[in-house]
Amino acid sequence: MRTRDVARGIGVVAVVAIVVLAATVAGGLLVSSPTNVGEAPTPDAYDTGSLDASPIASDGDVTAPDGESKTVVVDVSHGNDVSEDAIQPFVDALVESGHEVRFYGGSSSTGIGAPTQSGSPFNETLRSADALVVVSPAATYDDDEAAGVEAFADAGGRVLLAADPPTTTTSDQPISIPGLDTGGSVSAAGQPANLAGQFDVTFGNGYLYDMADNANNFQHVYASGDGGIADGVEDAILGGAVPLRTGPDASVVLSVGDAALSTTRETGSYAVAARTGNVIAVGDTDVLTSGMATTGDNDVLASNLAAFLVSGDKEPGEPSNGGTGGQPPTGSGAMIGSAASTGSAGMVTAAD
Amino acid sequence: MVETPFGDDDTASARGVVRVTTLVLVVVGLVVGVALAPQAWSFATQPDGNIAVVEIQGSITGETASGVVENLREARQNDSIEAVVLDVDSPGGTAAASEQLYLAVKRTAAEMPVVTSVTGTAASGSYYAAIPSEQIYVTPASVVGSVGVRATVPTSGSVEGEVVTGPDKNGGATEAEVYERVETLRRAFVGAVFAERGDRIDLTREEVSHAKVYSGAAGVENGLADEVGGVDTAVAAAADEAGLDDYRVTRMDAPQPSLLSQIGLSAEEAPDQPSTEQVFDYRGVDTVQYLMLHGTIRTTETETEVTANANA
Repeated sequence: MRTRDVARGIGVVAVVAIVVLAATVAGGLLVSSPTNVGEAPTPDAYDTGSLDASPIASDGDVTAPDGESKTVVVDVSHGNDVSEDAIQPFVDALVESGHEVRFYGGSSSTGIGAPTQSGSPFNETLRSADALVVVSPAATYDDDEAAGVEAFADAGGRVLLAADPPTTTTSDQPISIPGLDTGGSVSAAGQPANLAGQFDVTFGNGYLYDMADNANNFQHVYASGDGGIADGVEDAILGGAVPLRTGPDASVVLSVGDAALSTTRETGSYAVAARTGNVIAVGDTDVLTSGMATTGDNDVLASNLAAFLVSGDKEPGEPSNGGTGGQPPTGSGAMIGSAASTGSAGMVTAAD
Repeated sequence: MVETPFGDDDTASARGVVRVTTLVLVVVGLVVGVALAPQAWSFATQPDGNIAVVEIQGSITGETASGVVENLREARQNDSIEAVVLDVDSPGGTAAASEQLYLAVKRTAAEMPVVTSVTGTAASGSYYAAIPSEQIYVTPASVVGSVGVRATVPTSGSVEGEVVTGPDKNGGATEAEVYERVETLRRAFVGAVFAERGDRIDLTREEVSHAKVYSGAAGVENGLADEVGGVDTAVAAAADEAGLDDYRVTRMDAPQPSLLSQIGLSAEEAPDQPSTEQVFDYRGVDTVQYLMLHGTIRTTETETEVTANANA
């Protein structure tokens, strides 16, 4: 009897507890609201087939015409922002076609570009050359050298002047001047302004860009032209090109249409390459470099530039002014190339 | 003489019991009432709802973005929160984190009113986060815009003696592929801006892609922002959108990146002004960083090449 009463009591307690818990759960389910309702909205901007940028074709080859072996001098003696490695496709094409490419690094005895009593070693180098390539010099060509280049071109030597917008590299190492904490600044790449000026061409400032029609970047603009170095070039892709201004003796051979200039933001057609006799000025150096030499129609443009350089007919011994009598440069580190570190004359030639 | 069942004494006694019982019940009622009065007062005076002010401040990294995303999730799940005000003062940050913020704000805006107050800078990645808002309030001195992307490409080559399993193991992509990806991110960014605010923007896609920053006043004129007003104006607008006459404001602070993440692996060399790569977790390994960041990149090495789709 007593056991029965205890069991009954426990049963009542259990039933009451179950009822209370059930009521609590049911109430909770009724009262509570879902905490994470709704699906995430689909962003319309992410759901389009035009989102992915299309790769730019890069499948051409830079070539140069065969024929009489010509000597192409690439000047690196004026702090030029160029190296054999940087313009490898261009150099390879010339060498493969039997031409000789020299990288002129200046004379160790006279310093960079400085004339001597016996004449400018730069001009001495030109006497034995058929073509000269000047890319983004940091130092100015002095009057003697500029006159040498002009005489070189007048004698039939081919000259390629190429430059990007002038740049400066800012160092983050502060200069410790009491009361003045500023970063150091050094010019990294410039333009052959005085050389180009002799041939009625000036390099501009700022870069060209196109926000609407570009090769995956607003600074990668399309350039085209008719005939000459633009023969077969429909869509050359220039990266951060600088516009050129031309005088009456120069003719525009390559231009960018409907681009804007970064400094003025004015939209229009801009010349990016111009020719004056045996001289061509190009407002872009990327077309010669490994990264972009084969992008779009750049291989055609670079091939045409190579052909231009080796198709001249230069009189031997020019320029005669400012030199030592037409002797070709010898030894003592006047030339650099693949053996630059040794200081001896080095050159890249066809291995035949 | 007739006798009642109870005598007068019994009747009086019964009445006494009733009075005492009544008195006891009244006292109990009073006690219960007083005990429940605070709750009743609170119920009677409680606001109709809460407005959460979610801060998006400082550089946007994966870490800080996760905190903001969590705050927004809490706002969505908390029944008392009826609207969200974004308090934005950030130059942006990594592209991926900025996109996470955009998606989180967009989802929140689908469930409740979201209004943005630009208290300083809503540029690049932080503007990306703000565009799903119904209204963007600015002040004349605050800035909006910088719709663009950039990639920082390390220039250093492979480490001497290093062995890798593929040509792209070091850099992750060729230069052309970096350009493609930056362009793709730009298209997504600009596309999102026009998808959210295309009906209000008085600029072309090309003009927006210039990545210019505009003052608040200019932003209102060209449609990158809506109205001039401070945080309180934005809160009032959010309350109005949510139909709240009586509301309480709850501020959710912006998560701050931990010191360690700001200085990479070395806590001992904590600089006063960490460089950009230190803020964005380069952690001693140079990789291509895709940033939606306004301003000049501060690097420890000047040679770092920046591939900008626009001057973001």
